[in-house]
Amino acid sequence: MKHVIIGAGAAGIAAAETIRRLRSNDEIVIISADDAVHSRCMLHNFISGERDEKGISHISDEFFVKNNIRWVSGKAVEGIDTANKLVRITGGAEPYDKLLIATGAESICLPHAQSLNAENIFGLRHLRDAKAIREYAKQAKNIIIIGAGLVGMDAAYALSQIGKKPVIIDRAEQILALNLDPYAANMYMQKFEKAGCSFVLGREINQVNENAGKVDSITLNFGQKLPCDMLVMAIGSSPSIGFLAGSDIACNGGITVDKYLATNINDIYAAGDVTGLSGIWPNAVKQGETAASNMCGQPATYDDTFAEKNTMNYFGIPSISLGKVMPGSGDTVQVRKDKDKYQKIILNGGQVVGVVLQGNIAHSGFWLQLVKNEIDISKANKSVFNLSFADFYGVKEDGEYMWVL
Amino acid sequence: MKRIMVDAQNCKGCKNCSIACMQSHRKDNPGGFHSLDLADPANESRNLILLNGNDEYKPLFCRHCAQPECVKACMSGAMEKDSKTGYVRHNAAKCASCFMCVMSCPYGVIKPDRATNSYIVKCDFCQQDGDDPCCVKACRSGAIYVKEVQQ
Amino acid sequence: MKFSCSSCTSADKKMECFVADLSVETSFHRVESQEVKCGFGAQGVCCRLCSNGPCRITPNSPRGICGANSDQIVVRNFLRAVAAGSGCYIHVVENTARNLKNTAQAKGQLKGLAALERLANILGIGGDDAYQKAINIADAILADLYKPAFEPMELVEKLAYAPRYKRWEELGILPHGAKSEVFNGVVKTSTNLNSDPVEMLLHCLRLGISTGLYGLQLTNFLNDILLGEPEIRMAPVGLRVINPDYINIMITGHQHSIFAHLQDMLTQPDVVEKAKAAGAKGFKLVGCTCVGQDLQLRGAHYTEVFDGHAGNNYISEAVLATGGIDAVLSEFNCTLPGIETVCDQLQIKQICLDSIAKKANAQLMQFDFAQRDKISNDIIDAIIDAYKTRRGNIKMNLLPDHGNDQTLTGVSETSLKSFLGDTWQPLIELIAAGQIKGLAGVVGCSNLTAGGHDVLTVELTKELIAKDILVLSAGCSSGGIENCGLMMPEAAELAGPKLKAVCKQLGIPPVLNFGPCLAIGRLEIVAAEVAEALGVDIPQLPLVVSAPQWLEEQALADGAFALALGLPLHLGLPPFITGSNVAVQVLCEDMKSLTGGQVLINADAAESAKMLDEIIIQKRKALNLPTEA
Repeated sequence: MKHVIIGAGAAGIAAAETIRRLRSNDEIVIISADDAVHSRCMLHNFISGERDEKGISHISDEFFVKNNIRWVSGKAVEGIDTANKLVRITGGAEPYDKLLIATGAESICLPHAQSLNAENIFGLRHLRDAKAIREYAKQAKNIIIIGAGLVGMDAAYALSQIGKKPVIIDRAEQILALNLDPYAANMYMQKFEKAGCSFVLGREINQVNENAGKVDSITLNFGQKLPCDMLVMAIGSSPSIGFLAGSDIACNGGITVDKYLATNINDIYAAGDVTGLSGIWPNAVKQGETAASNMCGQPATYDDTFAEKNTMNYFGIPSISLGKVMPGSGDTVQVRKDKDKYQKIILNGGQVVGVVLQGNIAHSGFWLQLVKNEIDISKANKSVFNLSFADFYGVKEDGEYMWVL
Repeated sequence: MKRIMVDAQNCKGCKNCSIACMQSHRKDNPGGFHSLDLADPANESRNLILLNGNDEYKPLFCRHCAQPECVKACMSGAMEKDSKTGYVRHNAAKCASCFMCVMSCPYGVIKPDRATNSYIVKCDFCQQDGDDPCCVKACRSGAIYVKEVQQ
Repeated sequence: MKFSCSSCTSADKKMECFVADLSVETSFHRVESQEVKCGFGAQGVCCRLCSNGPCRITPNSPRGICGANSDQIVVRNFLRAVAAGSGCYIHVVENTARNLKNTAQAKGQLKGLAALERLANILGIGGDDAYQKAINIADAILADLYKPAFEPMELVEKLAYAPRYKRWEELGILPHGAKSEVFNGVVKTSTNLNSDPVEMLLHCLRLGISTGLYGLQLTNFLNDILLGEPEIRMAPVGLRVINPDYINIMITGHQHSIFAHLQDMLTQPDVVEKAKAAGAKGFKLVGCTCVGQDLQLRGAHYTEVFDGHAGNNYISEAVLATGGIDAVLSEFNCTLPGIETVCDQLQIKQICLDSIAKKANAQLMQFDFAQRDKISNDIIDAIIDAYKTRRGNIKMNLLPDHGNDQTLTGVSETSLKSFLGDTWQPLIELIAAGQIKGLAGVVGCSNLTAGGHDVLTVELTKELIAKDILVLSAGCSSGGIENCGLMMPEAAELAGPKLKAVCKQLGIPPVLNFGPCLAIGRLEIVAAEVAEALGVDIPQLPLVVSAPQWLEEQALADGAFALALGLPLHLGLPPFITGSNVAVQVLCEDMKSLTGGQVLINADAAESAKMLDEIIIQKRKALNLPTEA
């Protein structure tokens, strides 16, 4: 049996590992456009110089050898011949018995800038993006980052660490609006400002102005114009499915998959960002593992789909957010804060529907279970802030813990 | 694999396990536990004892799970399950301190290090000893013990 | 948005939220991180008396290396604690007697001449004039305190209620020299000495008697002679008493007589002028912990300098965090170590007046009667300096709507009897008729672990008054109960129908505020006098005592006195004795046949109230008083 995996990100690598664990003799091939395996969550550490190329790899040096995996690196996939079970790559083709598409996603560009072919517009998804940003930033003076989400703030952090003073623009009134409430966001914003960043929030971009093949300024609503010699787009991503144009693999935004992560074509699976199911690492890994299990003939379903969860850590202040960050109607909010800790819990009836933790996040993993499994906490007989796994404590025969509800 | 089994009913909340863990992982010069600085965050414990709403002790120790959520969540490769020993190991040098593992541990066992918030503090089974982990050796009440389990 | 507290709960919700938002760390904030308690320690079965230790008792190790079993380990620890607690109160009465004697020798002011006469009569001590009487009384007390372990104290028989004295004599627990009893308690419990748990528990009772009669009752008498007797009046309580226009001195401790000189100085025109020159209207003492209660109790005598009682032991950090306090004068316990960091942060001057309770941050200005003018002047100057340095620098964070203005204070065995027409007859008749079902002394400290700050105290008090039981309070319990409004006449609404009618008729609250923990001695005088009027012994009275949130070793010595008096004693949390079957059996069961007392341990307010109510009903039945079905 020959397994071909397109993509060497979180899903692709997890799938390869899983296949090798389940099938010691099957052939495994990974094809990737990147020529270095890297964690996209650490690209900012590369730009900042805190880590080198090897330092942002999430696998060991011996990974491919140890697992007996053939890695076709630096090759873009041009298309898939589903009838003949072939992956077409530059200058050749790779036959497969089972195929996993785990090509991830690409940065999206502001509509105003899509038609531009300016050399100083950058996304931040891949190592090649990070390399380009690091190189170009050397001479840039007026760097603008559009989007104050996680990618935008990663970029801002990285650039501030190499002495740049980026301006971050977002239409939201706060940074990290999808992940944090205003209080926690403001805590970070103050640190970013101290590090040299400045923010233009609650504003729309009217125009990206180009001159001689380069963006030279940005016009905001109300006519304000900001000089710009380097523009980083951090407004989101879309699944990397360009190479499937004209194929019979069904897509709807991302590749359409069922709960087995199978596509509409036999023996072809998809996992990770390319499915559009979830944009975060742990979910991509689980999708890769699930698809791999099915590729090996061991049926598995992708059940742990909850994706409203994230962590961040800027300037040594860690945060976790789960579920809602702001209360909706019928929700109640409990907050407690002291000098090194901020905790906000959003409740609806006996359920925790949102959590924001900042500062001290020690021993906080149980919150995710409470939120995603919609666990009734009203029986716990204590303040919500004192909840812990102790209130749902169970031990299995083999010593693993279990939640007792 | 070997696992630290927990019998919560026997726990007396004395925290001997926590002191033994601190002693085993202390960062300063090794010495007898009388010289252990109990207030130095660098010496923090990997295990802890929680109370439930009925004030019953519930010891929290890393399970080195068969399906470790912390490993699946790790985007730097710092958290790994050792296929031979079954232990979930953390490589502090590799850790990118994203703390996805902290969020993902279903029991809230693991945590960022208190002193620098830059890596994960978790049980390593006192591997440098080869013997039973120090917490188990220190427990007077039979609340924790080591057992070989199937995975 | 609701801000919940990152700290422990309090019966006093305004305080709870005030503390939660503070930028300084307080005891409230540290409760959570100390939540998991060592079970061995909690049960008292951890022994560190020798280098073989610590030894702990488990099913597999039922004896320490030396062979001590759980009873021996537990009771040794317990006697040590009671001895230490007794020592604290004996120190207080010793200093108070010395202060009275010095004042009398210097022909200084004695503000309570009636109290002097009463005590002189009780003790059968005379003298040519008031000063000589005071000197003779002080000398007799000091002589007793200093008696050796083989000599009984002479005043015990005069102070004790006769039937009790007889019983103590039978049990062989009449105390000898009070300091020697503490000494013996410490020696007995040292390594490999006493191993008889029952003998050691009887020693606890002996310490209880010397603590109660000398440490409590005599200290009150001496303070009343020196500083004036309590007078019933309405007074403000809570953080509202802090007026930032003044130079404010928070006082903590248990020795009112040490403040006597300074208290008078602070209203002298030249001293007030100094304050004015610094930009303030004058000086104010802000009461905190028991010595604050003592000042409040006698507040009628110095309304000018004392603005009111702010709160109990665990409020002291919050009082300082208001920013309105310029100095802390401390002389004894309940001065939390935690105030030191708050004082540092808010530039509050700490001065300690008694080296026994020296605080690390404080400047020691040991009280010395002969040097009193100089010391008081030095204190005043140091505080003015602190005022000038910190005011303007430190942000005020006052809580002027905390507490209330109408707390009934100044209740003592004398003022209460006088209020009733110089006789206990009205009270006895109300009890006999069942209008007041019984009396409960809710006393002792506050802690943060029996449900939270003052939670059990306040809840239990509410339960008791709802059952028509009149509550008498003394100690930090009073601080919590008064800040929660239960000592205002309006609180009668919370009482059962009969007690409510009594309160309304008399215009009193259902909880009477006797003030500091020292005043537990006053409650016991009330009990003895009522028993005497009825011709019964104290254990027969429909009277119970609860220290729902006992905190310190001193409270254990108080509790030992209650047991010696034969009173049912409720505690919210066990005093580290539950690891010993013998200790539990003796204290909770056998005590009934020894002294008539018993220990009841329960942390639930409703259940505790029910237990105490049942005891009161039984005692009423035994006295053939009417009881409801």
